[in-house]
Amino acid sequence: MVLKPSHYKSNVWIDWCPGCGDFGITAAMYRAFSELNLDPAKTVVVSGIGCSGKTPHFLNVNGVHTLHGRAIPFAVGIKLANPELTVVVNGGDGDLLGIGSGHFVAVGRRNIDILIILHNNGVYGLTKGQASPTLSKGVLTKSLSKPNIQDAVNPIALALASGYTFVARGYSMLAEHLKNLIIAGIEHRGTAFIDVLQPCVTYNDIHTVEFYRKRVYNLEDEGWSPDVKGEEQETNKKLLAAWEKSLEWGDRIPIGIFYRNTGISTFEDRLSEEIPIYKISPPSKQIISDEKGRTLIDREIFRKIFRDYIIIRKQER
Amino acid sequence: MSVKEANILLGGPQGAGLETTAQILTSSLAYLGYGVLADREYYSNIKGRHSYIHARISAEMIPLSLSYPVEIVGAMDSETIFTHFEDLGDGGYLIYDSSTDNRTLSSIASMEPILKNRITERLKRLGVEAKVSSLVDYLASNGRAEIVALDFPSILDTFKKRFEPEPIQASRYVSSILVGAVCGLLDIDEEAVKYGVSRRFMKKEKLIEHNVFLVNYVADYIRENYGSPYKLDNSRLSLNEMLTVMGNDVVAMAKIVGGLRYQSYYPITPASDESFFIEAFERLEVDGDSIGGIVVFQTEDEIAAITSAIGASLTGARVATATSGPGFSLMVEGLGWAGHSEVPLVITYYQRGGPSTGLPTRGGQSDLLFTLFASHGEFPRIVLASGDHIEAFYDAIEAMNYAERYQLPVIHLLDKFLANSFITMGIPDFSKIYIDRGMIVEDGEDYRRYEFNGPISPRANLGSKAVMWYTGDEHDEYGHITEDPEYRIKMYNKRMEKLDLIDKEIDPEKRAVLYGDFSADYLLVGWGFVKGVAIDSINKLRSQGLNGAYLHLKMFSPFPSSYVKSIIGSFDSDRVILVEHNYLAQAGKIVAMNTGTIIDRMIVKYTGRPIYVNELIIGIRKILEGEMRVVLSYGA
Repeated sequence: MVLKPSHYKSNVWIDWCPGCGDFGITAAMYRAFSELNLDPAKTVVVSGIGCSGKTPHFLNVNGVHTLHGRAIPFAVGIKLANPELTVVVNGGDGDLLGIGSGHFVAVGRRNIDILIILHNNGVYGLTKGQASPTLSKGVLTKSLSKPNIQDAVNPIALALASGYTFVARGYSMLAEHLKNLIIAGIEHRGTAFIDVLQPCVTYNDIHTVEFYRKRVYNLEDEGWSPDVKGEEQETNKKLLAAWEKSLEWGDRIPIGIFYRNTGISTFEDRLSEEIPIYKISPPSKQIISDEKGRTLIDREIFRKIFRDYIIIRKQER
Repeated sequence: MSVKEANILLGGPQGAGLETTAQILTSSLAYLGYGVLADREYYSNIKGRHSYIHARISAEMIPLSLSYPVEIVGAMDSETIFTHFEDLGDGGYLIYDSSTDNRTLSSIASMEPILKNRITERLKRLGVEAKVSSLVDYLASNGRAEIVALDFPSILDTFKKRFEPEPIQASRYVSSILVGAVCGLLDIDEEAVKYGVSRRFMKKEKLIEHNVFLVNYVADYIRENYGSPYKLDNSRLSLNEMLTVMGNDVVAMAKIVGGLRYQSYYPITPASDESFFIEAFERLEVDGDSIGGIVVFQTEDEIAAITSAIGASLTGARVATATSGPGFSLMVEGLGWAGHSEVPLVITYYQRGGPSTGLPTRGGQSDLLFTLFASHGEFPRIVLASGDHIEAFYDAIEAMNYAERYQLPVIHLLDKFLANSFITMGIPDFSKIYIDRGMIVEDGEDYRRYEFNGPISPRANLGSKAVMWYTGDEHDEYGHITEDPEYRIKMYNKRMEKLDLIDKEIDPEKRAVLYGDFSADYLLVGWGFVKGVAIDSINKLRSQGLNGAYLHLKMFSPFPSSYVKSIIGSFDSDRVILVEHNYLAQAGKIVAMNTGTIIDRMIVKYTGRPIYVNELIIGIRKILEGEMRVVLSYGA
């Protein structure tokens, strides 16, 4: 049975501001999940704090609404302990690139098979419009008292530098395009990242729908080929091209898949090499005792496993 | 002539093989059936700074504590002689390298200037020139000590001529000279030496041959020239096999036995050795078959360590993380999320000297209040402290059971003293071990993670047939956000009432243990690694006609209030003494908070070194003579 997009909608009233970009992201998720026919019980959406943090409550799949900046490590623990789950992270720009930037970088080094969706609106919405790490220097949005004096971080370039193997950008108002990116991101084996540009209708009067409508263009339309095929040289070439592309910001803003490399082992693969049982029997699936609560390791097994730590006393003659 | 026990101290620069020395000696002694407790004291340094091992060896019991003075000081370098000459008891033996006779105190670059000044002053008062030969002469002439002068370079020359080791390796054999000298003085036989060396160098035949030769060569020389003044009695311990382990190892073993399947950590002293140990056994292979697999995950920081462990726990894996003070400081927000969201989670917490970086490689017990009150808001938690290696084993498994049974974070409180001290102990009693995973459900229809069903709602895991939500916000039964005031009371109560449930279910006598009886003349109250030294000091004073008891506090949350109150209340208030490794006597604050009983006499130590029997018995006497507070300071 194929589940319709509406099936993925929970019955919780969505309390974002009317016109918020988060609606577009959530709608794209409903549709992507439906097209992939994800089992709600085997899907987990993990979020941080802020407006985007509420996303899991609006989806009818498992939801874990965590701490500010920590959605990624929560998601990593979930995925490593049960790799059969589809794990998607939703986080704001302050969340993933400010307070949680260490985790954002670290997960790229591991290539854990999860998708990270960045709600990028340039402001801290739920605390009333402070500048976020993606707001450019000199920009004065309506809730700031003076122009921003901090530079912006480049999410695409940071993801590339951190080792993400799928790096893309979407725009919340282009739901069909975004849905396709989400599908591609979930299907990608490895850490996938989608930087989603979105307006904050209440606090960001610069990066509005109008602002993006005029600037956004689709990489695919210009024949961009993000995929690494084969050699390491090719990887460097594609990385450099994607990096250069990530600097494009102003009159024209590219969206689409910047870079994709399917040739890098996932962390789960790496763990399986260390622990052969991992794939069939990850931590969440292992039985650790018998029905009576006895441990799998009894005295004799203990003596075998830890024999290097056991000293058998000299027998008196 | 033979002795029931021996106390020894071996010192040398960090990274010069002192640990090898301790391992060989411990294995050899355990092979002969002796009990050993050995504390490792070292700087936060990899090579060059002064480190030492302080051990007690017993033919009658597994030693519980350490004491000064020692009967043997073995010095790999001159810094050890200057630092520890007063740790040697009258008539004790100093083993040292006579080729360093001309070394002066001022020329020892690795010694901290503060200590150098202190020793300079001390030697001045004693009228001794600050030079190795003068100090050795002083010790010898006053009959204070027997001097075992060994010319290390010439011993190594003899050895080199015979075996021609790689030049780079020659210095690594210095530790075997010390092992040999100690084996001579204790009269440890060749077979035991061979056993100890073989275990240390596991199948590296050449190294084994070389070291066995060297140890026996030196041991024979000692026997011939000094006899074996500390020949040990035959062991009266009944153990036929013994584990030789550090505290880190014991806890790791317990977690493996107890079904741990996911451990996350960020490197920190003195906790990371535990995670390393578990990782070495990640495949859980028995006779070539894997009976499970444990993911040990090194994260980018402690925040990720605790939050990824929480994530893994939500899927139903048995999880833990291990850290020390600075790491726990970072974990605090995650702790609150786990408590609020009712997630089973064990945090193994090895205390070290704080605050801040403090004394990173030294011990302490200054984080009790922190573990009890860390994180904002109110939520139930269990805080459980272990007093020795054996307790730590069982407690590590209990901690995981409690976490799952009660769906909450459990902080298992240990310290560096335990983490880094070697002990010989029996194989745990498996009849005492069980696994309790609490209430788990699989079905999916209209599942409510926080169903109002008493304090504990049946737990379905992410990946089961159920769909569920978690949030750090106040939530309804489904796990969705709610700010309704009446609902808030219900959910808040449901969480907090776990403490009453635990208080009802876990026997108070398991949470606080009285050693001794109510007729005692005084009561010591302590926790953690204080246990051993408290019990031994009481025994020592008993032989001097003073009858004492020790109340060992194990669980601080929920606290066994009425049981503790009844025990403390049956002693005169001027006869109840807190013994702790911190400034405030923190456990006393918790006793006061929970029982209304204020204990105002205390013996505390916060130098980062363990409390020793010799100083504790003096402290107890001072308190019984009317002092209110005694601060201990023995140990280099």
